[in-house]
Amino acid sequence: MSDYSPGSAASQGLAGCHVCFKTSPAELHECPRCGAALHLRAHDSLQRTISLLITATILYIPANVLPIMTTVQMGNSIDSTILGGVILLVHHGSYPIAAVIFIASVLVPVSKLVCMTWLWWSVEKGHKTSHRERARLYRVTEFIGRWSMVDVFVVMILVALIQMGGLLQILPGNAAIAFAGVVIVTMLAAESFDPRLMWDKLGKEDEER
Amino acid sequence: MAEGLAGSVEESLPKRVAEPVHGGRVACHECDLLLSVGGLSEGERAVCPRCGFVVSSRSRNGLQRAMAFAVAAAVFLLLANIFPFLSLETKGLESEMTLPKSIIDLYESGYSTIATLVLAFILLIPALVMGLVTALAVPLALGKNRPWLQPSARFLYMLNTWSMAEVFIIGVIVSLVKIGQMATVIIGISFWAYAAFTICFTAAVSSLDRLEVWDEIERLSS
Repeated sequence: MSDYSPGSAASQGLAGCHVCFKTSPAELHECPRCGAALHLRAHDSLQRTISLLITATILYIPANVLPIMTTVQMGNSIDSTILGGVILLVHHGSYPIAAVIFIASVLVPVSKLVCMTWLWWSVEKGHKTSHRERARLYRVTEFIGRWSMVDVFVVMILVALIQMGGLLQILPGNAAIAFAGVVIVTMLAAESFDPRLMWDKLGKEDEER
Repeated sequence: MAEGLAGSVEESLPKRVAEPVHGGRVACHECDLLLSVGGLSEGERAVCPRCGFVVSSRSRNGLQRAMAFAVAAAVFLLLANIFPFLSLETKGLESEMTLPKSIIDLYESGYSTIATLVLAFILLIPALVMGLVTALAVPLALGKNRPWLQPSARFLYMLNTWSMAEVFIIGVIVSLVKIGQMATVIIGISFWAYAAFTICFTAAVSSLDRLEVWDEIERLSS
């Protein structure tokens, strides 16, 4: 049982249920209280996390290259990408909105991918330090992920509202789907990452910290 | 934001550090430390001493509050779907959107993927979560065992991450500023109804303490 940190449920052969928090003997395989599958640690957590992270990174390319929306004005259509939209907003002087779009569509997804990959790597390599900092990073990453969906909703509202017939119309682009995919897949990656793995290497000497 | 707002509410509650115990009944969700969180009274929260995870936070009259906010949220969501959400006026032209119509339009113009995602994230999942909160809070507050308690609780905590009502509100505000530069935008009744729905939704979800819900279900079913 030395694979687990002292004081942990797993070190005593108990599995904490990920749904209802109750601890039960790991041999049961099913939580007696809520019926969820019972594991000492989430099954294949690291493999699933990294595969989802790679998927999200690949999806992020079309999300930035393809147009997120097309403006059709008097027969002319203009494509705009996520970054193009941000640059246009800066040119128009709408700094706060440019900042919101930049944070939600660029900063949050990229830093989430970087942070999750680093957390994955730290567990994979068996880091023995900065447990509390890593726990906090995981919590922040898990929390901010969904906020990236803002841009997809903005496109949806613009499309729905600006329907002036042949005069002015906005159409959603394929980047919107790719971008929604990035957000969904990174959320799944955060969910499949078992944070308990970060604490397993905690030695007795730094227990007091 | 469901969790975020819950976090800020929890910050204001008196903190009790849970004690690590050998053979404890509860394991920390994030670091697996065995804990004892027994005897937590209303208005207190228990924090894991090792990783700082909030294991349990009991709001005052949590079940009643969850119930009341869930019912209020349902009414606001209904209103949000009936009235105009936003309307636009420029150079004598007008266009108006309602939530269901904008999703149907997206679908009919061939953007079925986006339409389905938006429908799920801003209407279906939030509505389902409110239904589940009511299905749990009412029997638990009355102390009655019901066959749907266990599946409802499992489903609720699975779905909750995928409700994006509050993200949608930010999206609306961003769009307002974007369009506001070229046309006059009129904010409809449904926008306010949806904003009120978001607040009630968040309050309902954060009033239910996950650990307490499961403890009660176990107590009633045994």
